[in-house]
Amino acid sequence: MAVASVTHAGLVGRPYEEPDQLYLETRELRVQGFLLFMVSDLVLFSSFIFAYLYLRNTGQGWPPPGAPKLDLALAAINSVILFGSGATMHFALENWKHRHFMKFANWIVLTIVLGALFLSGQLIEYAKLAVGWGSSGIFGAGFFTLTGMHGFHVFCGIIYLTVLLLQTLQGKYTFTKYTGLTLGTLYWHFVDVIWVVLFSIFYLY
Amino acid sequence: MAGISATVAHVERIFALVLGIVVFFVAAIALKNDWNSKGLENHVFKLMLALLALGAFLAILASVNVLAGKGVEI
Repeated sequence: MAVASVTHAGLVGRPYEEPDQLYLETRELRVQGFLLFMVSDLVLFSSFIFAYLYLRNTGQGWPPPGAPKLDLALAAINSVILFGSGATMHFALENWKHRHFMKFANWIVLTIVLGALFLSGQLIEYAKLAVGWGSSGIFGAGFFTLTGMHGFHVFCGIIYLTVLLLQTLQGKYTFTKYTGLTLGTLYWHFVDVIWVVLFSIFYLY
Repeated sequence: MAGISATVAHVERIFALVLGIVVFFVAAIALKNDWNSKGLENHVFKLMLALLALGAFLAILASVNVLAGKGVEI
């Protein structure tokens, strides 16, 4: 109820304001700039992934002796939670496009909650694996570096989406000018897609 | 203790299977609805949704033990 009143207060006055010329001219450039940032992030992840795969395939068998076993059931439910958050974020943006403000707010809050649940699942897995950390060697280095880096991206994504939600409540975006929300959705999908790769190489390969 | 762990893992697998199927179909339907959309970011969205559906499909296979890596606890 409180969210509803703040939401409407934030948009009163200019919810359907038409985009100005500067916005229209720079929108595509801003999207392209953000995509370049995502490509650079992809290169970073790719470097670590290929380093891990190289070390894994040049070692003396896999898994190395003494390495802790990964929990596939926990990883599967955790993955589905993160993939589900991608779907909820997609719904959030679609509802904004269709000018359903409350539905947008509900979906983005659900996305944030699911992201936090994913991070909690990661922490549970870390706690389980910490026991075998001493003898994990390359496995531990690869696993914790990549999943830790991804977890940091999810954490940043949660903050990003929270800021976007607060900005919408303050009326920063209108139903015709919402590039920030589009870019936030792109970032969250990117984080999901990176997890598809990490899930595959650590738990399925 | 081992029995409790096995039960927890069993419940996790069932949840992963059910939610995985839901997410897979939601992503597939969203992809179908967006299929004709134009613009750079919409093409990226379509790619992302396709990969999301693939991820959900892999999670479904993992939850029923069809796919499992070498160093995992089944």
